[in-house]
Amino acid sequence: MWDQLLNGLVIGNLYALTAIGITQIYGVAGVVNFAHGSVYMVGAYIGWMAIAWLHWPLVPAILLVLAGSAAIGLLVERAAVRPFARAGSTILLLTTIAAGLIMDNAAQIIWGPQTQALRSPLPQWQFKLGGGTVSFLDLFILAAGVGTALLLHLFLYRSRAGWAVRATAQDREAALQMGVDVNRVSSLSFAMAGAFAGLSGLLVGLYFNNIYPTMGASATLKGTTAALLGGLGNVPGAILGAYVLGITEAFSVEWLGSSFRNLMAIVLLIGVLIFRPNGLISARRALNPEPTAGTFIPHGRPLRFPRWLLPAVTVSAMALPLFLSNPYPLQVLAIAWVFGLMAVSLNLISGTTGQISLGHAGFVTLGAYASAILTSRLGLPFSLSLLVSPFLAAAIGVLLCYPALRLRGQYLAITTMGLGEAISLIALNWEGVTQGPLGISNIQPPGFFGYPIVSPAGMYLLAFAVLLIGVWVVHRLSRSHLGRALRAMREDEVAARAFGIGLARYKSIAFGVSAFFAAAAGVLLAHSYSYIAPDTFTFALSIQVLTMIILGGRDNAVGAVAGAVILIALPESIRFLGEFRFILYGLLLIGMLRFRPYGLFNSAT
Amino acid sequence: MSARVRFFSRIRSVSLASVVFTLLLTSCGISGTSTTPSDSAAQEAKSPVVIGVSGPLTGDNAEYGKQWRKGIDLALKEINANGGVKGRKLEYVFEDTQSDPKQTPAVAQKFVADSKIAAVIGDFSSPASMAASPIYQRAGLVQLGITNSHPDFTNTGDYIWSNTSNQKDDAPYLAALAVQKLNKKRLAVLYLNTDWGKTTTELFVGKAKELGAEVVVQEGYLSNEKDFRPILTKARDANPDALILISYYNDGALIAQQRDAVGLDTTVVAIGSVYSPQFIKLGGEAVEGVYTATRFYPGDPRPEVQRFVQAYQKEHNEDPDSFSAVAYDGVRILAQVMEQYGTDRKAIRDGLGSIKDLDTVLYGKASFGPDRRLQNPRFLPLVVQNGRFELWNP
Amino acid sequence: MILLSVRNVHKRFGGLHALRGVNLELEEGETVAIIGPNGAGKTTLFNLISCEDSPDEGEILLDGHRIDGLPAHLAAAHGLARTFQNGRVFGNLTVLENVLLGAHTRLHGLTDPGSRLAGSVLAALREIAWSIIQPRRFRRREAELTEEARDILSLFGERLIPRLHQPAYSLSYANRRRTELARALALRPKVLLLDEPTAGMNPTETEEMTEIIQTLQRRGQSMLLIEHKLDLVMAVADRVVALDAGEVLVSGRPEIVRSDPRLVEAYVGRRGAGHSVPDSAVTLQKQA
Repeated sequence: MWDQLLNGLVIGNLYALTAIGITQIYGVAGVVNFAHGSVYMVGAYIGWMAIAWLHWPLVPAILLVLAGSAAIGLLVERAAVRPFARAGSTILLLTTIAAGLIMDNAAQIIWGPQTQALRSPLPQWQFKLGGGTVSFLDLFILAAGVGTALLLHLFLYRSRAGWAVRATAQDREAALQMGVDVNRVSSLSFAMAGAFAGLSGLLVGLYFNNIYPTMGASATLKGTTAALLGGLGNVPGAILGAYVLGITEAFSVEWLGSSFRNLMAIVLLIGVLIFRPNGLISARRALNPEPTAGTFIPHGRPLRFPRWLLPAVTVSAMALPLFLSNPYPLQVLAIAWVFGLMAVSLNLISGTTGQISLGHAGFVTLGAYASAILTSRLGLPFSLSLLVSPFLAAAIGVLLCYPALRLRGQYLAITTMGLGEAISLIALNWEGVTQGPLGISNIQPPGFFGYPIVSPAGMYLLAFAVLLIGVWVVHRLSRSHLGRALRAMREDEVAARAFGIGLARYKSIAFGVSAFFAAAAGVLLAHSYSYIAPDTFTFALSIQVLTMIILGGRDNAVGAVAGAVILIALPESIRFLGEFRFILYGLLLIGMLRFRPYGLFNSAT
Repeated sequence: MSARVRFFSRIRSVSLASVVFTLLLTSCGISGTSTTPSDSAAQEAKSPVVIGVSGPLTGDNAEYGKQWRKGIDLALKEINANGGVKGRKLEYVFEDTQSDPKQTPAVAQKFVADSKIAAVIGDFSSPASMAASPIYQRAGLVQLGITNSHPDFTNTGDYIWSNTSNQKDDAPYLAALAVQKLNKKRLAVLYLNTDWGKTTTELFVGKAKELGAEVVVQEGYLSNEKDFRPILTKARDANPDALILISYYNDGALIAQQRDAVGLDTTVVAIGSVYSPQFIKLGGEAVEGVYTATRFYPGDPRPEVQRFVQAYQKEHNEDPDSFSAVAYDGVRILAQVMEQYGTDRKAIRDGLGSIKDLDTVLYGKASFGPDRRLQNPRFLPLVVQNGRFELWNP
Repeated sequence: MILLSVRNVHKRFGGLHALRGVNLELEEGETVAIIGPNGAGKTTLFNLISCEDSPDEGEILLDGHRIDGLPAHLAAAHGLARTFQNGRVFGNLTVLENVLLGAHTRLHGLTDPGSRLAGSVLAALREIAWSIIQPRRFRRREAELTEEARDILSLFGERLIPRLHQPAYSLSYANRRRTELARALALRPKVLLLDEPTAGMNPTETEEMTEIIQTLQRRGQSMLLIEHKLDLVMAVADRVVALDAGEVLVSGRPEIVRSDPRLVEAYVGRRGAGHSVPDSAVTLQKQA
């Protein structure tokens, strides 16, 4: 009992390190920095080079890490944050993700993909506490976390630069008018957060004696969860959130099992946010102040096409299998159509309704599993399952998301990320129904009335047909009073509610319809892959689908499909670049967002 | 924004878009150059035989793909130095899939459409590999899974083969090692909760119970887990006399290290997947005295193993691990089949079924069984001593 | 007949006692203006009436039904429509869409919230299905509402009609306020709550708005109005309620309230603290 509490505190200690950095950046830039974990990873590698290659002692190594990762933090700010500062937090979420992608892939090329040992030069001294032990490194990490938090506090509340940082965090425009150099403040914050991220990476690397290029991803996830638990932007909250998270995890391992660990972390997060939507430590504000007039973000100018172009492209896409005998491009496009369907469905949530969702893979997983189980256990034919499974998935999806729907903005975004993860963890743990980690194999190929569709051309046409149905339905909805209501919520939730739009109901409708088509995409993929497992549809997929709509244009079905085609075909078409292709992919993404932040195809109002 | 800036940003966005679309067109156009089967035989005789490899070179599993590549490179170098296959040079095309099930079907279609590809090796993870299997099966192109232990992997059809055991031999061997040779009766089993870990654990536990041992803890952990103190505390409280790890070397080393922090000092017996220089590098002193049993061990006195290890060290300046060894074997199995039965896709499939006494590093002389997997693997019990894996002879 | 009554309402924000036992009644067809210095609790009162927030004590009745504590979207369904102090139009929706959205609660049989869980799920499914199928009566209703929206917008002469399909963010400030009023009218509210409808408008625009409010009065619209410009208040209000520090200071006919010494004291007494006297000349400087 006490031992598990100690275990929770020790790991909470590590979570606190990342949570503090994430929460600090949120406080200043108003964005959850998804590149934080990558800076953390680079910091760990810098420390590793200093210790393992140059044989430096720990203190100069730490100084090098602080300097190096502060520089990386600055670079991230200049390349991926500052040019987009006015574009809004959705875009920033994506540019930081892209920056992280570039760093992770570059690290893999520079230092190799294998895990490296990072042995601690600290004294191996430890003392017993109950059945467990606390090592010198544990205390060192605790001191580093608390020490940095204190330094940060002193800086923010005792120095002039800190005053400027706080002013910028409160109101960027007002600070600018008061003569605060907000760019410098932003650089300063990212440099500090970068230095801190690098230090955390080094310390965590020392703790586990283990560093690798993708180590940032789980750190970001845990750090964000802890920061959210404590209340974004709140440093003591982040520390508290980290310990609460660590302790919850330790006890879920004790009572439920290690496979339930992350699931319980998500349950905790959602539970806390239901009762305290702004986190554990936060002043409860009854009402948000009314916005002052004139702060609209216009959606920019849409590309215009001749009216005949869209039908012409549709018809040629349909006729493509007649002319193209090579199955490879057909397969690529068939997958692009399925992803187009996911993008169109996500667009209803993120484009039309304006809610960022990072958990779309969860709906796809629901659809895939529903259909796999219905067809292989209950013998349902594919054609029927293609209809039934999406309904089932939509119902379950709305049920799961309902408690989270009252959260706003990035809180909702991160909670949906957790929900997407939770769905695949349920698939992993509910072995009686889902066969757990073994997944479901030998899923029948798609087919109608006993005729299986197995040729690439057949798959292509099936995917395209379902996509067309999806686009048509979403288009009809979007043109009806319902679309108007959803867009009104996106523009101003308070005003929308004052005119009779029940937020929970209409968000549920958006999530339900969206889940329906995401699940349909899952059904198509499950039957074409013939095998699905809990890790078939991952968080990376959710991000990719979100990228598609931001690239293509929010609230625009054609744009979503175009975004899907680009993002599926692009990595295929640059295969010859080998290890470098995902770096180019990240760079292209940032470039696109820089020059066309509202997507290639815009919402035409 | 001034009109001028806007103008330029539009120009730039248009050119950016055109770059993208050009790339798209390239992907559809150039890649469509599949050679037709009517290529003249004379041309074919000169052209190389190509093996397609579908595997991770970027992303989370990139390190395994890189290990594969080292094994494949060595195998090809040796084969081509000996005159290649049927007088033709043997080559490979490695397509990076990140072990992502969304990319493997596309790569599969690419290989299928490319008539130069004689057979395919890969992919790494089960979801990625099995999403592509139906395509290989329908098109009649052999997919040789080199790390695919999922019990259903080869069930997709008669073109799907594997030179990896589905654990039905490894796990019982390990159980016998722990229960009979080490005389352990209270086992705490920690396993990686994936298709591989789950299957192995069930086979292990079945055999261990049959041999009279008690399994006091059986806990799966998630594949991205780093913090094992809670699960080890739970294991410790069950008072086991051996800790069984069904782990890969990265997580295996982490568990071994963190054991100390909760005061669990029982014997550790780990499945053969921990066998890697990395396990010792990452685990340090904490992995001293860990027992394992592996199909591949560089210190194995068998001549075929010694020859492979020496060649590998010469080529790459390091010891091979089991990932490079399976890849090495995979290529050599295909080469032997092609030499004997021809490079036609169907001939390769038939050849895999009929060939006897394949020359392999991992299995010695081996043949495929009715489940399209290699039969009768051999195991060597090892123990970590003084920072090295040593043969253990009780 | 009394349409709206506010009975002994209290509201606290932490240590701040924003409303202290406010009573207010609105007769059918009546226009009541609420005046008072900044921080008197006017907007808080509006937020309570429109159910944006709920009172700590007391009750609010609309047409004999208690509405306090209801979710805001149900208050709209009961027939309350409001405008906001700084104007909250839906920026990326067109003028027409903004006004049509005002009629959301009038799409009967379609947007009914539904009672209990099963009822609300079914209602939502029905709404989705009809939006996809769009049966003829549905389209006819949309067309009627569009006509009606044009009628409402024609209240503002040629100000908005030519901009029907422009996004609201492209409008001038005054036009956004007009769009907001049109949206509120499209709900056909029993009670219309106007929060400083002429804030930020120049004298001509204010004059125009005064006339529009008078037109609405002639049509029998009941209104509750927060306003600083005393000329407007004198021109349209049947009664005036003056709030100060969360309490009703004076209420009655406009000319009587205006000359009440307590009111003058409430404003002038604070002049040193930078508050303005309710004089149309002075209040112009407020909120440009």
